Formats: sequence, structure tokens, C-alpha cells
Amino acid sequence: MTNKYYEFFCPVKVIAGKSALEHIPYELTGLAAKRPMIVTDKGVRAAGLLDPVIAACEESGLEIVSIYDDVPPDSSTTVVRDIAGIYRQEKCDSIIAVGGGSAIDTGKAVNILVSEGGDNIAKYSGAGIIKHPLKPFFVVPTTAGTGSEVTSVAVITDEAKGVKLPFTSSFLLPNAAIIDPRMTLTLPPHITAATAMDAMTHATEAFTCMAKNPLSDAYATAAVKKISHSLLHVMDNPKDTDGRLELAQASTMAGIAFSNSMVGLVHALGHATGAICHLPHGLCMSLYLPYVLEYNLEEIRAPLGELLLYLEGPEVYSATPSSRRAEASISALRKLRDQLYKRCQLPRTLKETGKVQEEQLDHIAEMALDDGSIMFNPKEVTLEDARAVLRRAWA
Amino acid sequence: MLAKRIQPMIFQARRLYVEMMFQVMGRALQAVSEVDDSVKNEARALPEGFLFEMMVMPDGPRLIVEHTGLGRFHFHGDSAPRPIDLSIQFKHIAHAFLVLSFQEKTSVAFANDRMLVDGDISYAVRMTRVLNRLESFILPKLIAQRAVKEYPANLHLPEKLISAARIYLKVATNFVETVRA
Ligand SMILES: [Fe+2]
Repeated sequence: MTNKYYEFFCPVKVIAGKSALEHIPYELTGLAAKRPMIVTDKGVRAAGLLDPVIAACEESGLEIVSIYDDVPPDSSTTVVRDIAGIYRQEKCDSIIAVGGGSAIDTGKAVNILVSEGGDNIAKYSGAGIIKHPLKPFFVVPTTAGTGSEVTSVAVITDEAKGVKLPFTSSFLLPNAAIIDPRMTLTLPPHITAATAMDAMTHATEAFTCMAKNPLSDAYATAAVKKISHSLLHVMDNPKDTDGRLELAQASTMAGIAFSNSMVGLVHALGHATGAICHLPHGLCMSLYLPYVLEYNLEEIRAPLGELLLYLEGPEVYSATPSSRRAEASISALRKLRDQLYKRCQLPRTLKETGKVQEEQLDHIAEMALDDGSIMFNPKEVTLEDARAVLRRAWA
Repeated sequence: MLAKRIQPMIFQARRLYVEMMFQVMGRALQAVSEVDDSVKNEARALPEGFLFEMMVMPDGPRLIVEHTGLGRFHFHGDSAPRPIDLSIQFKHIAHAFLVLSFQEKTSVAFANDRMLVDGDISYAVRMTRVLNRLESFILPKLIAQRAVKEYPANLHLPEKLISAARIYLKVATNFVETVRA
């Protein structure tokens, strides 16, 4: 018998498709919530994305008691404390986070404070600190990439100490994730591309890293298939609702996959690059993905080869000899990146970003080696290995 | 019927083995940090006075080492002089046994949800690399390959450690054979 053992957990109700937003009032009522607060950012509000959410609730006689729309891109402990203050003052009883990774993480952190009490979110940092269910919490993602609507993690910056505080608990998971294609319809091309490649990376790493398991595999392959199928189509037809919904669902599925089987070196390098060179996360994912797969190749040949079926479809898969499928999967991803570069100049190398200096590579390598994601990479990464991958990704 | 009588003995033996292996690892960590540059380099990034613990939940055997500076570890046995900075916690003694008898790699045990990290994850990543390196010291190549993701190419075993390692290994393999049956 093998030592293989795994855990899989996703209690989030997924509410997806046409007119999904209109289910919010019913779902909130089902949790005895009557006074929801919306947590979002200025960009979401300016794009008019709150309007359908508010209209959906008001039409059902459910009043949105308070709207906080000033979540910064890197949310902080002060922001969380302020929002919790408003929540208490307005006697809210539930939270709806509308936005991308930062708004969702902020919603999770606010939920800790308003449920557990106090003003100091840092107190709850770490794993397993929270022992009770929190207030009703819904997430409406407005990007199709992070998968934060189905992860049990939030990261909040402690400005005073200059550190990023991680929060991990299954109680951070929202009660429901509402996937409505209206929310991603107006995403600009480069964000559509970068966030979809983030989801692609979640699925690919979930499928090829150490904690892969049969359940997360099913979500990962389905996500890869949807993204390969729909991404370029959506890039060419941004108003296509069905295509947008496919990408949004794929992002949630990839999120379910990686929150149960973790990610690897692409994310370790990406987190470090994001911190040092201030490049968007999805861009870094797209950039590093093929180079890391090449580095891991001999360890992941079998699963990576299997992905070819979902990347390129049955014809290409069956026409490719099994000994060449892993390489063909990498080529398929490179091809996709070339197409994205053509459509929105999504960088394929560090040099193409124009924001990274060659002298910074060593610093990125060192920082990546301290990143938690590196633990689940199928190959044990040394500093020299990380440097080598970065040099290949340079130009 | 027989199983009922034999089980408690196995449980007790397993616990003794885990306790013993923590002792061995604690001493070995201290010894290796005195001779091995790669362990020293990993450890140097930890704060001075940093306390690392590996323990079995809820209140089982534990091993505590301190980074005393310059990449050196000091073994504290099973009691800490101050609150712990980083704790790696096995969910059950059975899981600790899998890892400490080298049937499951440390990194795989993490991936398999056998243990939890309490503390800074970047330190946990670092300590996992130190533990991998340690395992390759304690074990001959064949078994170490099972215990760590990759067997380091630049491993030069000091003579003293080789002989010690042989003894531990003998205990470990005998024990695994007994318990597996
Ligand atoms: Fe990501």
C-alpha cells in the first residue's frame, strides 16, 4: 500500500451563471442576514459593477446598509479596523465582498474582527487561531483569476511593522461565491489575459505539484480545458457573456483545485517578483509558467503529458506520442502566451516587462526560496536552481 | 483476539521510537550545524535565539532546538526556555512515526496534511530544507533518497556521524520491520 493520503474540502456554495446576482437576497435571507455591508474598491464602483448588485438586493426589499468602496490594492490592518468600525456602527450582520483579491481578502479579515471581536486583526494571524464560524459572508469576484472566493487564506499588510500577515482558517471561506458573467464583462484585455493565466497556473501547478490528489485533479483539468477553450475567444470577443462565464467558472475551479493541493515554484518566483519589482501577480504567473515546467519536467512528465488533452484537445493528444506529450503541453502554453502577447503585449520574458533589472534576479531567487509555495514544488529547489530558471526567463 | 493484546504494545513502542528519534535528531541537528556549511547557511537567516519545535499533537513527544547565532543549533531536549517561534506539529503520533521512520518524506508529509506549521512559513520552508539535509546525513544514500526529495550531491559525511548514523539506522529499520508486520 502506498502512503498516499489527502484531504479535500470546499464548503462554498457556488452560485453561477445568468442572473446569479439576483440570488443574493434569497441566499442572505436563508442565513438570517438582513443588514449586509458591501466591501469593494473604487475601480469596481467606477466600472458600475455595484449597480446590478445593489439593484438585485433592493428589488427584493433587501437594503444594503453600508458600502465601503475604498479598499486599496494592498489591504492593510488599518483599513480592516476602519471597516469593522463602520460595520458595528451601522449594525450590519453580513458582508458581501465585491472585487478582486484585495477586496476579498479584506472582506475575510473584516469578518474575523466583527465576528471574534476587538480592533487588532494581527492577533488572529496564523493558522488555526479561529475556532468558530464567522458572520454570513458572500463573495462576488470581478476578476477571473485569483480564486480567492474558494480559498481559506487572507493576506493583510501590517503597515506599522511593514510585514504581510497571513490568516488561514476554513472559517474564512465564504458561505457563497456568486459567479455572474456581468461582473467580468468589462475587464480590459491585459487584465483578462493576466488573470486567466493566473488561473491556468493554479490549475497546472495543482495538477503537477506534490499535494495533487484525485479530487483536485478533476477540478484542475476541467479548469485547464475551459481556459484553453475560451481565453483567446474572449480576447477577440470581450463582450461574449458565455465565454466570460467559462473563464470565471474556470477560475473558481482552479481555485478549488489549488486551495486543496497547493502551488509550487511558479508562485514562489511570482510572489518574490511581485514584491521586489511591483509587477501584477497574473503577469508573473504567465511569464514563469513554461520555464518552471521545463525545470520540473522530469519529475512531472506523466501529469504534464496528461494535461495536453485539456490544453489542445483529443486530436492533438492522440496524434502526439506519449513520450512527447509533456513537451507538447509546454509548447501549447508557449503558443498561448505568444497569442496573448500579440493581442495585449502580455510579457513573456522578464526583459519584456521593462520593469526588472538583471541585477535584481539574485534578490528574487533568494526571496523565492523563502516562499511557502516552494515546499510543494515536486523538485527541491536550490538557490542555484532558482537563479537558473530566472536567467532563462530573462530573455 | 491476539490483535487486541498486541496493539497497545505497538502503540507504546511507536511512542518510544518517536521520542528516541526526536532525541537523535535534536543531537544530530546540533552536530550537523557545527560541521556542515549548507545547514549553517540556511540557519544563519534565522534570528538569534530562534526556538524551533517539532511536536506531536496534542501534547506528545517534542524536540526543541535553538538557533544560537552564526548558523549553530543548540538542542534543548523537550522543554523550551521561552515561547516557541516556530512549531511543526504532527496531527497524530502515527504520522510522526511515518516521517521519523523514513517511510514518508518531510515534504510529502506536509503535502499530505500530516502536519501543521505554527509560525512564519518562510522559516518553516527553511527548517524543512535543514531537516532534509539532516536526513541525508543520518541515512545512507539508498534510504535517504526515500526521505528527501533529492539527495544532495555535495555531501561529505564526517566519520563520527557515519558511525552514529549506522546505529540509529539499525534501530530504525528493525523497528519498522517489527511494526509493519
Ligand atoms: Fe496565483
